[in-house]
Amino acid sequence: MVTTISAGDWSERAQALAADGWWLADLCGVDHLRIGPRDERFGVVVQLLHHERKERQMIHVTAVGDPPTVPSIAAVWPTADFMEREAFDMFGIVFEGHPNLTRILMPDEWEGYPLRKDYGVGKVAVEFVEQPLLQISTPGQGPDQAESKVRVDRLGQVIEEGDAP
Amino acid sequence: MSTAEKIVTEIETRGQGAFVESYDPSDERMVINMGPVHPSTHGVLRLLLELDGETVTKCLPIIGYLHTGMEKECEDQNWRGAVTIVTRMDYLAPLSNEQVYSMAVEELLGIEVPPRGKYIRTMLAELNRLSSHLVWFGTQGLDMGAMSAMFYGFREREVILDFYEMVTGLRMNHGYIIPGGVWEDLPPGWERVLRNILDTFPKRIDEYESLLSANPIFVERTKGVGVMSRKDVLTLGASGPIARASGFDWDLRRDMPYEAYGDVSFGVPVEKNGDVYARYRVRVAEMRESLKIIQQLVDKMPGGDFKNMDPKLTPPPRDEMNRSMEAVIHHFKLVTQGYTVPAGEAYVAVESPRGELGVYVVSDGGTSPYRCHVRDPSFVNLQVLGPMVIGSLVADLIACIASVDPIMGGVDR
Amino acid sequence: MGGVSDVLGANFMTAQLDKLVNWARKSSLWPATFGLACCAIEMMATTMPRHDIARFGMEAFRASPRQADLMIVAGRVSQKMAPVLRQIYDQMTEPKWVISMGACASTGGVFNNYALVQGVDQIVPVDIYVPGCPPRPEMLIDGIMLLHEKIRRGEYTAGRIAG
Repeated sequence: MVTTISAGDWSERAQALAADGWWLADLCGVDHLRIGPRDERFGVVVQLLHHERKERQMIHVTAVGDPPTVPSIAAVWPTADFMEREAFDMFGIVFEGHPNLTRILMPDEWEGYPLRKDYGVGKVAVEFVEQPLLQISTPGQGPDQAESKVRVDRLGQVIEEGDAP
Repeated sequence: MSTAEKIVTEIETRGQGAFVESYDPSDERMVINMGPVHPSTHGVLRLLLELDGETVTKCLPIIGYLHTGMEKECEDQNWRGAVTIVTRMDYLAPLSNEQVYSMAVEELLGIEVPPRGKYIRTMLAELNRLSSHLVWFGTQGLDMGAMSAMFYGFREREVILDFYEMVTGLRMNHGYIIPGGVWEDLPPGWERVLRNILDTFPKRIDEYESLLSANPIFVERTKGVGVMSRKDVLTLGASGPIARASGFDWDLRRDMPYEAYGDVSFGVPVEKNGDVYARYRVRVAEMRESLKIIQQLVDKMPGGDFKNMDPKLTPPPRDEMNRSMEAVIHHFKLVTQGYTVPAGEAYVAVESPRGELGVYVVSDGGTSPYRCHVRDPSFVNLQVLGPMVIGSLVADLIACIASVDPIMGGVDR
Repeated sequence: MGGVSDVLGANFMTAQLDKLVNWARKSSLWPATFGLACCAIEMMATTMPRHDIARFGMEAFRASPRQADLMIVAGRVSQKMAPVLRQIYDQMTEPKWVISMGACASTGGVFNNYALVQGVDQIVPVDIYVPGCPPRPEMLIDGIMLLHEKIRRGEYTAGRIAG
């Protein structure tokens, strides 16, 4: 079952659900930038589980404003403490009323919010270079082992005649 | 009297410590940093402790030292390739990670896994539970000084890892369970190896229990230590063996069955005390139950397909590619681009060795996940550690961390 | 920093002493505990009865870096962990060696993104790289034996240009 509510109604709804016996399974942030028309770019998705009725429920809470803000439910379900900090760290969603809203996964002085869709993956180009530690100590020893007349062992040293291979 | 003379008289009457002006003998708290590199083998967990002598008054876990950006990396891979990323999160139970991710993608695709595939997945997940609990057993013993437990636990684990290598090709971080089923069928001879495991393990578990369960030193160090009541555990959101050791009888395998758990019968161990000893007993009993489940699955293993052979999802068998042009085209498209998953979202959870492991996956109709969030049990269970250790000694803190059994790969992702 | 030969002059006696010192160093390398992720489990499995590194004298994993000679960086090094890694390396006393275990420690591995240092050799000088994800315990033992060979030959300054 999926419902969408706005940030303004979230605190009361959370308290009503907790009183009804729902247990917080997961809370995460979502960036709707490339998924099609939505009112707001950021949202928080909450998964709830009811142990007695054996049911699950998914709630989308839209974050309003800039920076995107959602009321914190750490007072209702203390489980949400770390989860809200992670959503703040990864998306920049501010949770009002959270006791300690600081970065949790990235270093404290990191700038930017990594899981946003306009933040790149941060790939580093891989360059293949010649083996740097290969020692070339005799004339006629080519850099490529297959071409040289001199044999080199795994530590990069030349194998003299008479040594074990 | 000048201040200097006042101080001197203070010293002469009350002793050396008196000249420290802000000295308050009732406030002797030390703030100590434990980790991220410390000899307890639980990975890179940093704890900020406030100690009053040897007693812990506050404990704040600081995480993030293993953050790998896996959720972002998943968005960069195609649906089949994201399995290799997800499997490295909770690295002691990699097949559980793969299983839950595959189940979530299958829900989005709307496909069914054939029965043999389900049985193989369930069997491997239970073997994962066994091997993960063996590592927990080892580290729990090691942290309390019983080094032999480590050797015994890992020795048994090697036998299970041999089986994994036979079936999946790797000892850890297999990329074996994929959306649609499993990657390859079980090799011939698998049943003999598994039955050998099933025959020898129960006696071995008895042996290890006889080493620790009634051992007065172990009992003294674990009974009454790190007690969490049922209410505390539920409010803090812990699941898995921690919740079951505090009297909360909930297990996703039995209460919301998935895969092949509906076809097997097993018990769910629950203890009432909520201390470290109760968690120990729950996990050892879970090991025995896992053996029972695997026995039933091996006896009832069906034949047939092991993965959903829809050509838009699975590369066709190689000999068919020699005969049919369509098969070649399908294979090409699947290898280069991958399949597309219809737009939608899904949340699926399984019972991993540490608790409720869930995956929330969003698709925008493309070939890679739009958002793949993993609800890792260790991340949530770590919040239990703060309140659990208040008032206990530093040695008890070590025992408590071992009983919470955090895996930092899952915590930091 | 060289062997005995550099200090006392190169002659037959110091060459033999060098050999003795190198043999002693390689025969009881004590690793520092630096298991980070999945490779740490395989490193623990290497100390376990099936693939025993106690036969090399290395089962004593020292918790304090001051007492260790070898740092096996086992696992992925994140941006937050990199300064800690460098600090532990600096606290180790000479002579010290580094084995980079696994693909993530050697080059960044499967994960080429913002959160990981792409190869631990950007932070500390590495002597031996052991590839794999995770490397089998036999592969790690092969890397360790290669390091023993390197020490036996007296080449512990190789690759340590930056100091």
